[in-house]
Formats: sequence, structure tokens, C-alpha cells
Amino acid sequence: MISRGESSTARVATVARKEIIDIFRDRRTMLVTLVTAIVAGPVLMLLVLNLIARQSDKVRELVLPVVGIERAPALQAFLERQQLTLKPAPADYEAAIKSGEVDVVLEVDAAFADDVAGGRPGTIRLAYDRSRDRARAAIAEVEALLRAFNREWGRGRLLLRGIAPEVANPLNVESRDLATPQSSGALVLFLIAFYGLFASVMGGMAAALDTTAGERERMSLEPLLNTPIGPLELATGKWLAVSLLNAAAVVLTLTGFYLALRFAPLPAVGIPFLFGPAEFGRFLVTLIPLILLMPAILLYVGCRGRTFKEAQSNLSVLLFGISLLPIVQMFLQRKDPSWLSWVPVSGQYALLSRALRGEALPWMELLQSYVIPALLTVIALTAVGRLFSRESLLVGR
Amino acid sequence: MIVVDHLAKAFGRHREVRAVDGVAFTAPDRAITGLLGPNGAGKTTLLRMLSTLMIPDSGTASIEGHDVVRERYAVRRRIGVLSDARGLYPRLTARENIRYYGALQGIQADALERRIEELVQALAIAGIADRRTQGFSQGERMKVAIARALVHDPQTILLDEPTNGLDIMSIRALRALLRDLRSSGKCLLFSSHVMQEVTALCDSIVILGHGRVIASGTVAELVAKSGETVLEDAFVRLLGSGEGLAA
Repeated sequence: MISRGESSTARVATVARKEIIDIFRDRRTMLVTLVTAIVAGPVLMLLVLNLIARQSDKVRELVLPVVGIERAPALQAFLERQQLTLKPAPADYEAAIKSGEVDVVLEVDAAFADDVAGGRPGTIRLAYDRSRDRARAAIAEVEALLRAFNREWGRGRLLLRGIAPEVANPLNVESRDLATPQSSGALVLFLIAFYGLFASVMGGMAAALDTTAGERERMSLEPLLNTPIGPLELATGKWLAVSLLNAAAVVLTLTGFYLALRFAPLPAVGIPFLFGPAEFGRFLVTLIPLILLMPAILLYVGCRGRTFKEAQSNLSVLLFGISLLPIVQMFLQRKDPSWLSWVPVSGQYALLSRALRGEALPWMELLQSYVIPALLTVIALTAVGRLFSRESLLVGR
Repeated sequence: MIVVDHLAKAFGRHREVRAVDGVAFTAPDRAITGLLGPNGAGKTTLLRMLSTLMIPDSGTASIEGHDVVRERYAVRRRIGVLSDARGLYPRLTARENIRYYGALQGIQADALERRIEELVQALAIAGIADRRTQGFSQGERMKVAIARALVHDPQTILLDEPTNGLDIMSIRALRALLRDLRSSGKCLLFSSHVMQEVTALCDSIVILGHGRVIASGTVAELVAKSGETVLEDAFVRLLGSGEGLAA
């Protein structure tokens, strides 16, 4: 007889080590994980940043198509002083606005000069399509300029009559925008938080399926269960391996963002948030519960599938639901209710957004967000262990 | 030694499929015992109960004195199983596949490497030992699966249709190996639906049909019992009809 050890820990470690080797040798899985992790997220983010940059550039080099501007020479001079380029609008400018070629058109009423000379307000018409996001900045700019011109003109008239302009402006509105540089740019923010979540949900998928449904499909589960490994030991070993891969995927994704923000040629917009080493750390701390929970759930779903394909289609339903949560949350745009920090995925998303806004992590809420995922992890692992000890797993149902 | 006593197992919602129905036999050490029966006779279910993967509805079975239900982990340390399912890990080398099972059996690293080398020599797989098992032939897979099942040098060895899908050269090599194991004192239980396999190898035979033991004994005893002169005719007569044998 060969002398032998009896350690449960040693068996768990043996399974984990074997699964890690197996996963890292699976070139296709590794490639997909790497590409989605390091490349896809940052590339998407750079695209969005460029879009933002183009919008703000657009305001600065605004070309304003005009109709009948010669009827209001003072306005023309004012707008040109504000560095707007005026050009005659095309005859069918309404169609041009609808198609998005032109953002906004200014038309001076035919009776403008007469009205003004007669002491009546002159009419200026603006034509635009407010439902088009990209046009909004230009519309706001033109409206603001017209208000400014209106004020300046009115002021001059009051002064001519010997009245202090303040008489007509009893209200002095001062606004302070409390948005830190970080708290604007919601879309980019959403993107990074979402991708962080996404990585922790998806990072272990292929590996989890391969090690469960794949093991059944390859017919290697039955001989494995003939060794002294206990079902829960087997589940734990596999879970450790998949969790490690998942953690690696999250770290890679965050590193991708960090490097992109640090070194990629970013457009000349102020980056509307911070993502430095501190945020990197906060992200990881926030995502730990999901990094550990998702592999357990993935293993469970994988075990229930007789084949890789079957497990994969079961999973896609689950993953769709999970990835929907943060999107719904983003569109609700209300203040998050306090119980949300308990809910897996939603709680993490809320914490990630706060971290991106440059806030320190609220420790109470962080702890709350750990509780339910920890419980679910234990439940899912136990369930996987039970599945491994089920006879029906061998007969194919 | 394997002792099986009135073992029974049924499947289906109402337990209407009685896969194993009161089987009793003994398989001694230093012998190859054959389980012969047509497809669906209950051989695989019986072996799964012996290898602790399925729990019998009733009856008992023990291996080297350890009950297969109450002492399942003690049993698993003492048996080597070559089941119908013999999947290998395609991204691991043959040696790594064997090493994984050895480590799960708790064998310490040095002893394990020595044992693997021993098996690699005995099974003549030195040429493929360090290749990934993806793309191995049936015979190569079989050899790795056997090495994996024997890595902890088990006293009791269960084999479920081990010759399925093998060419004649591999079958002969397997027979030689099993005879070697017998002469070193092991207890081997070998299931097959092919009579030639069983007669070529086994010291005694248990014939299964519809989950029951129909007859058992040495080849000579079975022939005598049935009143026929050839085992094949004896087998058919004992089963009660010509069913299933050709399969």
C-alpha cells in the first residue's frame, strides 16, 4: 500500500490547482476574457469621451445659418462679436434640421425694422429640433446669446431715458454649480461602473461552464466522483479556481481603464471624473462580493446543464437579468432608496458610482452590500455540492 | 473481496424499472470475476452501487469488509474503477491526468511521481505521457484511464465493459495487464456483454439478466448446469431465450 494523506484541505487545493491549470490552458476562453477585459471597455470609453469633446467643440465653432439678418444689423454685429459665423440658411432649412445637417436656424422677421422703429418688440424666430441630443448645446448657446443681446439693448434704452438698469432687474440670480469636476459626465461614469460590474459577473463564465457542464459532457465527472473527494470539497475547489479567474478578469478590466485614462491621447475635455489608484482600490473592495458570488451561481447553473450548450442558454437568461439592473437604475435617476445597498449588483453599482464621483466609501453600506452575496455564495456552493452527490447527475438527468 | 447480498435498485417515478433486483454473489481476491449479461441487465447500475456512486434501495454490499453506503469514503480509497465514462481532461497531459487522481487519493508527491512512472512503464505509454490527451486514440485513452484508476494501487478493481471500442491489440494488452493484477493478489470484477471476453479471462462468471443473477460458477460448472456443451449455448439457455446476446 502507498502511504496517503487524509486532508480535506489538500483535496480542495488539488482540485483548485488542477482547474486553474486547465482554465489557463484554454486558449479560446483566455483570449475572450482578455479581449473583453482590457480592450472593449476602454475603447468604448474613449469613443464616448470623443463624442463629448466633439459636442463641446461644436459650441465653440458654431456656424449659425440665418435668414434676413440684414434687417437687424445691431444683432448681426453682436453675434459676430461673439465669434459666431453667420451664413445664409438653405431655403429648405426645416428639412435640414430634421435630417440633422443643421442644428439651429435664426430668422429675423420681415417687419423687424418697422416694429423696432415703432417701439414694438421685434420678432426673432429660432428653428430647431430639441429631440436631437447633439443639437442641444448649440440651441442653448444661441438662446443664451439672444437673451444677452436683449438685455444689452434694453439696458441701453433705459440709460438713454436716465433710468438705472438695475430698476428693471430687481432680481440678481447667482447660481453655484456644486457638481465637482467628477460628478458630471454621467454616461462615461455609468460606462466604467457598468463594465466593472460586467467583468465581475462574466469573468468566470466560460470557465465555470467548462468545469461543470463540460465535465459532464466529457464524461470525466463519474470517474472523478470515484475518488475520495467529497461533493462539497469538489464544489469548493472548483469555486476557488473560477473565483480566482474572475478576480483576475476584474483587475485586468480596471487596469485597462486606468491605463486608457492615463496614457491614451484623450480629447481636450476635462475628464469629468477621477480614476486613480484610490478609485481602483475602492472598485475592487466593492466588487469582492460579486467576484466570489458569481462563480458559485455560474457553477450551479453549469451543473444543471447536461451539455455546455444547454448550460449556456440557461445562463444567458440569468445574465441578461443581472445586466439589466444597473441600466434600469441609471434611467430611474432618482436618489437611491436606502435598502438598495443590500441588493446584490444594484448595491454594488450604487457604490461604484459614488466611488467614481470621488466620494470615500461609506463603510456601513459597504458592509451591508457584503451580507446577502455572502449568504448566497454559501447557499449556491452547498447546492452545487448537493448536485455533485446526486445520482441523477450520472444517469444524465 | 467483494460481498454482495440481495442488492436492489429501481428507477423511475414509481420505482417501476427494477435495474438490479436482489443480486447476491461473492468475488474473491486473486481472481477475476466476470459479470456477464445482455445490455440492460443491470451491470452498470450494480457497479455504480459498488463504487458508492449510487445508493441501493435495499440489500448490502461490502468491499474488503467496508460497507459501500456507510463507509463510502473508505471504499473509495480501496477501489480502482474503470467505468463506462472514461473522459480525460484534454488540456492536461496524460501524466497530469494521472497525477490529479493520485493527488485526490492523497498520495504524497514523491511517492506519486514514482508510482506514475511505474504505471507509465507497465502500460507502455512513455511516448505519450507528456502529451495533452486531446486527440488520443481510443486505446491511448483507455490506457490513461486505467493508469488513473490504478494510481493508488487499489486492492479491488471494478471494470465496466473495459474492452468497448478497443482494437484487438489493445484488448490483448488489457487482458495481460488484468492477469498480472490477478497474480499479484487483486480482486477484479469485470463486466461485459461479450461472452468471449469473459471466457478468455474470468475465473468465475455471474450471469445477470433483468437485474437478477441467473446463474453463477466457473465456465465448466455453467456448461454442466445448462446441459449444453458450449458456453454460448449455455448462456442463451440460462437466459431463457436468445435475447440481447448479439448486441
